[in-house]
Amino acid sequence: MHFKKILVAVDASENSARAVEYVGIMVGDTPGFEITLLHVERYPERDIFPDDTSWQDACREEGQNIRTFFSQAKAMLENKGVSPDIISIEYVKTSGGGTQRGSKGLGVAQHILKMHRDGGFGTVVVGRRGVSKAEEFLFGSVTTKIIHNAKDCTVWVVE
Amino acid sequence: MDKTVWEKVQSLLPSIALRDCGMVYADTTEFMNIALDGRHFVIIRDEAERRFGMEDPKFWVKRCRDLETGEFFILKLVFHERFEQNIGSVAIQCYRSPEKESRILDLVRDDLRFMQGVTMRDTADNLVRILDMIRGKSLDNVIEDINADHRTYFHQFYPDILGKFIGACEAIAFLHDHGERHGDIRRDHIWVEHKTGNYRWIDFDYAYESTENPFGLDLFGLGNILLFITGQGVHTTHDLVASALRTDAVVQLEPADFSLIFPNRLVNLRKIFPYIPEFLNRVLLRFSAGTYVFYDTVEEMLQDLRLCLGRLS
Repeated sequence: MHFKKILVAVDASENSARAVEYVGIMVGDTPGFEITLLHVERYPERDIFPDDTSWQDACREEGQNIRTFFSQAKAMLENKGVSPDIISIEYVKTSGGGTQRGSKGLGVAQHILKMHRDGGFGTVVVGRRGVSKAEEFLFGSVTTKIIHNAKDCTVWVVE
Repeated sequence: MDKTVWEKVQSLLPSIALRDCGMVYADTTEFMNIALDGRHFVIIRDEAERRFGMEDPKFWVKRCRDLETGEFFILKLVFHERFEQNIGSVAIQCYRSPEKESRILDLVRDDLRFMQGVTMRDTADNLVRILDMIRGKSLDNVIEDINADHRTYFHQFYPDILGKFIGACEAIAFLHDHGERHGDIRRDHIWVEHKTGNYRWIDFDYAYESTENPFGLDLFGLGNILLFITGQGVHTTHDLVASALRTDAVVQLEPADFSLIFPNRLVNLRKIFPYIPEFLNRVLLRFSAGTYVFYDTVEEMLQDLRLCLGRLS
């Protein structure tokens, strides 16, 4: 594994922004690094909206939020001295561009781990907000799943 | 009211006065009496749920009679409700989705582990679910009506109840395999049919935001029911103190013995019922504050429960 090849899993949250900032500080202008910012799409459930219009509006808003986050994250890394040439962005679509109608749950952690394996990343970075044991039981945790299941890599958990 | 419809009402329900019937609505947004695609229903009353000793009226759920066949049905009208549900200290945004319930009704057609029904659209395009009545009692009432001390209950009644509960868990696993969640798993959402004794799930309209563990809430609900049927009820700190004062029994309990979600609910039942075998108690402890390992899927829990049932039998 190439430990200087870093996969940063992000959503549009403050936790992710902290993770990106940390990576920027650690890498700076040191040569030999590659940074990939990865977002796994998870649109809101269709079932929680009364009609298609309000659901599609919410999906569009989510899409816009992550696009804004990506440009801010790139700028943040460059501010820390990271060359724009070593930053790439990956957006994983999981629900057919917002047409998913069922309450199917797609594991974000599963997608992150697949990208880690397929891309030969030696370091995986995630932000964490810290959840209670009860919340972890009820809702699951992307970070916990990555810590438990990632192999042949270093995992940075930024809190 | 249409004369033909009124004649049908009179023949089926002669005691009803015209003023009680009002109009017939084909658009259920304004509901009282309902006509759907040639079928006529007369509303008898609103349904209600009884929880914690309180009657909770559900004004969008109507007990009714089909004027053509005389059969009783439950009509569920569209009610887009958003509310915060508190599960212990965790708050969850919850939504009532007629689309979800309708989809699940289609998925489980003729599968008698679930309530049965069809969906029709009214003239305003609302999804009206016409549900068959289940003659029976909710599981909590069935358990509470068993007149036996816990030891007798556990040895004489519990294996059969556990077997049927395993069947109910398999039904939920079926939903999960098809990408659906029940959404509101509670002991009063299993209906025990009088005629057959079969367990049947009702009420599929709760929906939640997607999470990393999409089936966590359903699993939590199943764990609660397992605890209820194994303990022949819920055992809270309050009950335990009262019982200890009555019997002078001393039981050493720790926070880890209680529910992960409800810290006053005892999960480590073997401490008060020592004849509950370890292998079964271990399944309960997966839902305790002391656990480090959670069930990820219903199938994982089922594998353990089937072994328990085999050893109990």
